[in-house]
Amino acid sequence: MSKLLAAIIAFGLFPAAGFAATYPDRPVKVVVPWAAGGDTDNIFRPFAPALQKHLGQTVVIANVGGASGTKGAKEAKDAPPDGYTLYVPHEYIHSTYYTGVADVQYSDFEPICMIASTPSVLTASPKTPWKDAKDLIADAKARPGQISVGATLASTSHFFPALIEKAAGIKFKYVSYEGLAPRMNAILGGHTDLTDSNLTQKGKVEAGQLKFLAIATEKRHPEMPSVPTLKELGINVVYDVNRGLMAPKGTPAAVLARLESSCALAAKEPAFAEAMKLQGTAVRYLDRKGYAAWLKQTDDENRAISKDLGLLKR
Amino acid sequence: MYDLLFSGIANIVQIKYLLPLFLGTFIGVLGGALPGVTIAMTIIVVLPFTFSLDPLQGLAAMTGVYVGGSAGGLITACLLGIPGTPSAIATTFDGFPMVRNGEPGRAVWLGIWASFFGGLLGGVFLIAATGPLAAIALEFGPWEFFALFVFALSMVAGLTGGSITKGLLSGALGLVVTVMGSDPVMGAPRLTLGVGFLEGGINFLPVLIGVFAFSQLMSDIEKMGDAQQGQAAGPIPKLVVSHLKIIGEIIARPFLLLWTSFIGVLIGVLPAIGGSAASMLAYDQAKKFSRHPERFGTGAPEGIIASESSNNANVGGSLVTIMAFGIPGDIVTAVMLGAMTIHGIQSGPLFISQQSTLAYGIFAAYIVSHFLMVIIMALGARYMLRLTTVPKSVLIPVVLVLSVVGAYALNNTMANVYVLLVFGVLGYLLVKFGFPLAPLILGVILGDQIEINLIRSIMTDNNLWLFLTRPISGGLIVMSVASVVFALWQHRRHQKRNRHSTDGDADF
Repeated sequence: MSKLLAAIIAFGLFPAAGFAATYPDRPVKVVVPWAAGGDTDNIFRPFAPALQKHLGQTVVIANVGGASGTKGAKEAKDAPPDGYTLYVPHEYIHSTYYTGVADVQYSDFEPICMIASTPSVLTASPKTPWKDAKDLIADAKARPGQISVGATLASTSHFFPALIEKAAGIKFKYVSYEGLAPRMNAILGGHTDLTDSNLTQKGKVEAGQLKFLAIATEKRHPEMPSVPTLKELGINVVYDVNRGLMAPKGTPAAVLARLESSCALAAKEPAFAEAMKLQGTAVRYLDRKGYAAWLKQTDDENRAISKDLGLLKR
Repeated sequence: MYDLLFSGIANIVQIKYLLPLFLGTFIGVLGGALPGVTIAMTIIVVLPFTFSLDPLQGLAAMTGVYVGGSAGGLITACLLGIPGTPSAIATTFDGFPMVRNGEPGRAVWLGIWASFFGGLLGGVFLIAATGPLAAIALEFGPWEFFALFVFALSMVAGLTGGSITKGLLSGALGLVVTVMGSDPVMGAPRLTLGVGFLEGGINFLPVLIGVFAFSQLMSDIEKMGDAQQGQAAGPIPKLVVSHLKIIGEIIARPFLLLWTSFIGVLIGVLPAIGGSAASMLAYDQAKKFSRHPERFGTGAPEGIIASESSNNANVGGSLVTIMAFGIPGDIVTAVMLGAMTIHGIQSGPLFISQQSTLAYGIFAAYIVSHFLMVIIMALGARYMLRLTTVPKSVLIPVVLVLSVVGAYALNNTMANVYVLLVFGVLGYLLVKFGFPLAPLILGVILGDQIEINLIRSIMTDNNLWLFLTRPISGGLIVMSVASVVFALWQHRRHQKRNRHSTDGDADF
């Protein structure tokens, strides 16, 4: 409780305090644009103590969910660029911009570092008749627009199946389920047929409650070698969700450098690697320069995908 | 199965688990009781302190917070008329009137013992019926969720108070609030008036605190002038209670207790909505089954029992869903699930069979923490009940500050404080003009879920008859209609009786 109060006092009463020279001299807030317990939250909760250790200041996670993750993005963008409010995006920042859902884009922020990469897995309800992805494709060709996919529209869980549609020449029907938890409930009960998920759902597959049809990696994943890649099925789609740390545009270079060096050390913490393994996620560290280049490239790719899918609004 | 439970209990009463469980329950009661601090916030604050503990210690502490918080909300709900946490909204309806009638001890202890029995019944369901209940939850697709929330919304008819028109208007206002912000599918802004922070929609909690706390505190302030003379005239609050008598009051209504606890478990198992809906649904059911529905809202013990037994049973239900599916039902269970992950536990369908020591450890923690909760309440009751004798001039500023801090701490943003202010003023005006607040809150709780599930149903299949032809959904729709008709009939009968009694032949 006293910690919470300390944080409140620090944020509320002294917003003007703190200079780059002494950075960080009060708690750093990390805006997670989704609810607690989601994938992004589960990745950054174990990262926060690691970052805190190397930054020498308390790191607080603020879950600002809503409106496909754009509410948190807006809040982080409008925060003072002093390094005390950070933001953790993934590819949705590009896709929601180009599909017109949000008007915040990646260039409203300064990249700090990338920390994690989670491969996508095409997942089916146990109530579907398909044994593997081949069955699915054949069925989809026979019944265009009939197979339902639960997805957060205009986000990664929409783009990933959409890429499969395009590569395999098939057509799905999309149903809006924002976030992994409601998507999982719908697919376990057979209310939707397909969804994008990841290796965190392994336990449900082993219990026969879900079916992994194919994984979107270059090679089969060591955690689940029995799941084929989309590539070996002749569908040329490789897709993963990459998460990093950003600060609002205009954050001083010295502050960014301090954050970058702390982030580099935090990403190497064995405890963090261990936690990521449970998340079906690989630690993927890119420094400021590397992350900036990656963001530029990914932004172009997302623009192209939006255009291909007929969703481009800008 | 039960030997596993007993060994779980034997395990959990060791001091190394009992201590975190006790501390968790204690902090939960505090967090639940403080208006503006929700269970979710308390659990988020406690989470980092459990990192260094072993998994069962950490999860015992979190379970304690969850149980303690669900019970703690009743203290402020009864004594101040302000729900300490959203799941205690329905407790204010009868708890607060009972306190004003001069029975604070009875109100609080009815709540505490109802929480205790409801929670334990929830525990029985939790252990015996995890499988079948979880299977029912999976049958709930968007059609069923839509119908369930429409059924819950039909409670508005039972909560209108004097004027049905004003009640419906208040409910409609609540629904409009949920429309504000980005639409749930493609994020098109609605009713945002060009104001930036409205694009994200309006958070439920600052609305709740604003409407309940502000309107209550404002009317308290209004009465402060005449309190000086009035105090002597009022009934002297009875702080001493007979526990046997109160337990008797609860046990004497076995059907009520069982049914409202079952509602709590069921709403908990369904991964969409939390304790606030459970307690209001249970309250409405209690009123419908009562032979004296007109007593509800004036300090009826049934109202307190229904609300408090269901919100603690709800905790048991939501634990089932995270253990069986790894799907969180609300923010609290989402954080619990996150905590499990951080402690290296993969929850999901195989969790209970593969990690039975841990799973039954959590069951045991859930049960034991109910006993701890009663002990904590018993030790603290004397001090809590003094709240009613604290001068309002001291109490009101403290509660106001807590409410504002709570609204801010929700997301660490100022926007929620403004929402709190606006809805505080609005709530006060509504009360002044005789509008009931409960339908407004119900609208705000349910609006989003009704909308998104309607959209999902139609996106999945554009056949609208499915709402009626799917058995669970159809049944719930029929029940909604019946519930409205029944409430209107009860209302009419009550008015007729009132007319008779004002004719002058009152026989007492």
